[in-house]
Amino acid sequence: MPECRIISVMSVINELTGINGDPIDPSVVDGKAVLVVNVASKCGLTPQYEGLERLQQRYGDTAFTVLGVPCNQFAGQEPGTPEEISQFCSATYGATFPLTEKLEVNGQHRHPLYDWLASSPDASGEAGEVQWNFEKFLVSPGGEVVARFRPQVDPEDDQVTSAIERVLPGS
Amino acid sequence: MPDTIKTTEVRVGDRLRARSGVEMTVTRIDQQFFGNDQMVAFVEDSAQQWFKMPAPRDGEVELVSRGGE
Repeated sequence: MPECRIISVMSVINELTGINGDPIDPSVVDGKAVLVVNVASKCGLTPQYEGLERLQQRYGDTAFTVLGVPCNQFAGQEPGTPEEISQFCSATYGATFPLTEKLEVNGQHRHPLYDWLASSPDASGEAGEVQWNFEKFLVSPGGEVVARFRPQVDPEDDQVTSAIERVLPGS
Repeated sequence: MPDTIKTTEVRVGDRLRARSGVEMTVTRIDQQFFGNDQMVAFVEDSAQQWFKMPAPRDGEVELVSRGGE
């Protein structure tokens, strides 16, 4: 009888490889709300790193983390090596949240994580392709994709922080 | 000097080069970008790659080759 595995978005997140090439430590995401964001270093929206890091500082002690996903599919705006990306994030924006290895978020070769995420609708009910860099998906501690925010939505917009606060344990 | 072409003259099948140096073969042209109809977005959605490149509608893009050539 074939092995039967229950797959959830959180189990996919738990199998991701970090920007340094090592598996992401499960304790980084287990039991936490996760804001998954495809990031790029050379985009007009790159300053959103500042807001993302402030979210990490604001909620990071209360079962929440931002998870950055470097992606080069949007105008080639994330061309660097893992070392360059990691250095850029920490040195330029002081980012402390984890980054995955570079992934594809759209198309036939997109990572399974984005099979889950892209099927989730935004506030207007539209699902499907990631539109651009810095699209945000909020995954609850239970593994449910509870909100999707398009790239233009500021990380510290009320609709983002309200959604985070609704899924934090004890809320 | 690289060959350029007006954004409005790009056709599906044309091969373009982004400023980042990445080349793409256009399989779809979105007539807006972020809801802005002064911008278009060229998309390659193929077995080779998925890639998106926006461009001002009244601008030019670098052409590598015309579709079918």
